[in-house]
Amino acid sequence: MNMSPEQVCSHCGISFRWKAIIDIAADGSNVVFCCRGCHGAYHLICAAGLDSFYLRSDRAVPTVGEADVSRYTEAELLKHLVPEGDVCRFDILIHGITCPSCVWLLERMMTRMTGVESVSISYSGGIASLRFDPAQVTPLELFSVITSLGYTPRPYSADQSEKDAKRERDDLLLRFGTALFLTMQLMAYSYALYAGYFQGIDGAMKQLLQYVSLLVTTPVVFYSGWPFLAGAWRSIKTAAPGMDLLIALGALSAWLYSVWALFTGQETYFESAAMIVTFILIGRLLEISVRRKAMSGISSLYAAAPQRATLVEEEGDRTIEVDAVRPGDLLLVRQGERFPVDCLIVEGATEVDQSLATGESQPVLLTTGDEVRSGCVNVAAPVTVQALRPAGQSYLMRVAALVQMAQAGKPILQKLADRVSGWFVLAVIFLALLVAAVRLLLLGDSTGTAFMAALSIILIACPCAMGLAVPAAVLAACSRSATLGIILRGGDVIERLASINSVLFDKTGTVTCGLPGVVQFDTYPGHAGTCVLQSAATVEELASHPLARAIVGYAAEQGYRPESCRDFCSIPGRGISGVLPDGRRVLCGSLDFLQEQGIVADLDQQHDGSASAVLVAIDGELAGRFLLVDQLRKGAGDVMSALVAVNMSIALISGDHQLTVERIAAETGIAVARGAMTPNQKLEYVTELHEQGRRVLMVGDGINDAPALAAATVSCSLSDSSDIALENADVIISENNLMRIATAYHISRATMTIIKQNLAWAFVYNIVGIPLAMAGILTPVYAAVAMTASSLLVSLNSLRLMRFNRHG
Amino acid sequence: MDETLVILILLSLCLGAGCWLVFIWAVKKGEFDDVERPKHRMMDDD
Repeated sequence: MNMSPEQVCSHCGISFRWKAIIDIAADGSNVVFCCRGCHGAYHLICAAGLDSFYLRSDRAVPTVGEADVSRYTEAELLKHLVPEGDVCRFDILIHGITCPSCVWLLERMMTRMTGVESVSISYSGGIASLRFDPAQVTPLELFSVITSLGYTPRPYSADQSEKDAKRERDDLLLRFGTALFLTMQLMAYSYALYAGYFQGIDGAMKQLLQYVSLLVTTPVVFYSGWPFLAGAWRSIKTAAPGMDLLIALGALSAWLYSVWALFTGQETYFESAAMIVTFILIGRLLEISVRRKAMSGISSLYAAAPQRATLVEEEGDRTIEVDAVRPGDLLLVRQGERFPVDCLIVEGATEVDQSLATGESQPVLLTTGDEVRSGCVNVAAPVTVQALRPAGQSYLMRVAALVQMAQAGKPILQKLADRVSGWFVLAVIFLALLVAAVRLLLLGDSTGTAFMAALSIILIACPCAMGLAVPAAVLAACSRSATLGIILRGGDVIERLASINSVLFDKTGTVTCGLPGVVQFDTYPGHAGTCVLQSAATVEELASHPLARAIVGYAAEQGYRPESCRDFCSIPGRGISGVLPDGRRVLCGSLDFLQEQGIVADLDQQHDGSASAVLVAIDGELAGRFLLVDQLRKGAGDVMSALVAVNMSIALISGDHQLTVERIAAETGIAVARGAMTPNQKLEYVTELHEQGRRVLMVGDGINDAPALAAATVSCSLSDSSDIALENADVIISENNLMRIATAYHISRATMTIIKQNLAWAFVYNIVGIPLAMAGILTPVYAAVAMTASSLLVSLNSLRLMRFNRHG
Repeated sequence: MDETLVILILLSLCLGAGCWLVFIWAVKKGEFDDVERPKHRMMDDD
């Protein structure tokens, strides 16, 4: 076990338990730091003559974070510079930033350099943006400063697809903002014109208002509506009618008709042209933001992969890029590091936290000959490993490929929707042409009247109320659910969430907290509970294993404080020993460990293996026993019964042992429990359910759930999940209250009801409107009033969601 | 009466155009680049 007692950082003063950076001060005493930033800041302050704060120091350079800049040549780095006037901009991705003081230190150090004009570092992304004069300082010098502080710099340039996506989004946002501003202006004139139509208006005033309407509508149709016009033109060229064609036809014909009406002194129809474009643009913006999420999910998976590996060679250890690792290479993985590639342990034994890969909640003891997957964390001791596969084929990269495949499979439904609307478009155009032909040829109407009737049909059929029906309800639902602690990503999520009938829960970290807790503490005859608890807590205090933390926590709850312990010793995967101040020797660990130490011990009482047992022996005699289980999350039982109440079938899937999974399932009332599943098996299980026609909600938190999350109809993560799970999640639940999953389901159902009401209204409007337009009865101004009234109705109906308040 | 309306229409157009320019400035400055991050910030530990 890893011996990491609580330490206090000499620079920032926070207490921490992870591996410290230890330095030696001038008086020979140790100074410890929580991170490189604090360590660097310590150096900086000392170098700046402010060392009255700390003791004067004369210390060795720490071995962590050694990076060589020699990898980069000056010419290579110069390629990444972006000229900006007299200075150049240089974006650097910095690895190793862990706290705000890292940012402070880096910014301070770099602004002090001559020639550097400004530095800004984003704490979350670790991307530094520098402006500097290349004549005074070279990029290589900047790199060596960052490296000397113990960070790893690499040149950063947003990749092309990211840049394109940003340009597309900004472009759409500008078009939408412009359309919104002009449409709002336009509505003021339109209401004046409606009033004028019914109450009478001065001819000159009417003309003036109509001309101003033309002025504000034209940019909406031709600038904001340009994507639709271009899309319509493409669909004509490729003979594939789509929604764009109908939107473009509607907007253009409304505009053309109104211009014609303006000059012939009739009622204009400008507001419908503008509203169509504006409402459809809202939908497009929502869609784009959803697509963006999907892309960033994969890149964050790549980011989880270690960048460097320590190569073991005869002449010494050397840090290399992980891409340079070849199968068969010997690598050193230190305590606290992630395994860079899939590998085989050839020397040493350690405990490995595989929770990202298998979901298993506790570190597993692995020894010579065992295989380890990339991305897992080495918890206990340094080991030498042999690489099995190159980094590109490692476990993490295979998961990334699975996620990518599962995501690519999603938009099939979208294509179907496009095809259906294609038929609708064709039918409307056909109907319009038919009416025009009938009027012209059979009824003998004038060309103008026939043309007007045909245009009216296209206008009425335009998806204007429909365009608003969905976004208005979605916006209301998203903002309401955000106040309830649920983040929904996009409108399509609501639709899919409302349709689910199966829920899959991951166990570790989702239904359970992922941390063990003591559920039972027994003493053996002849030992007082207080004494055993105090002794166990004293020894376990020095261990970092989750079970040890749980026991210390349990003792603290009962009011016991650890004493000082000496001769502490930990054997990875087995147990620990230590000597108390009064000289008694305490052993804590598994049954096997105590038996090895020559203690007569057995688990006598019923113990089915679903709970972890830690035995305590004092002076060679069995004294006590702790039973620990992973604890359930808040609302775990309630959410299951709430979901069963709405006829969901629920299953618990996990990489953990079958027994543990079954126990948790029984406790929470889940019918199906499946343990020992790999990420790929989880994905297959989701696909299997899909094939049976089920619509699946997957709730998970780890990298191991990512493929299943991406493949599920809807994915859900808790706010403290791994980044990769969050990026892939359609729904995020905050405060880790599982009950909110049921709330999310109910709000999506309520939203779908509202959307259906809105759409039904829009259809009624079409069904009544189209025949009236065909008959030539519906004059433009009545249609305009009806349209605004129906838009208002749809908006108000959607706002009812803001009062949604059902928690179960 | 007519003149008042013309002035009011022009005034509203100018006011709206002002807001529109602020909006364009905000888009160019990147105010809308990341609308995701700020709402997650409340869940961060620090």
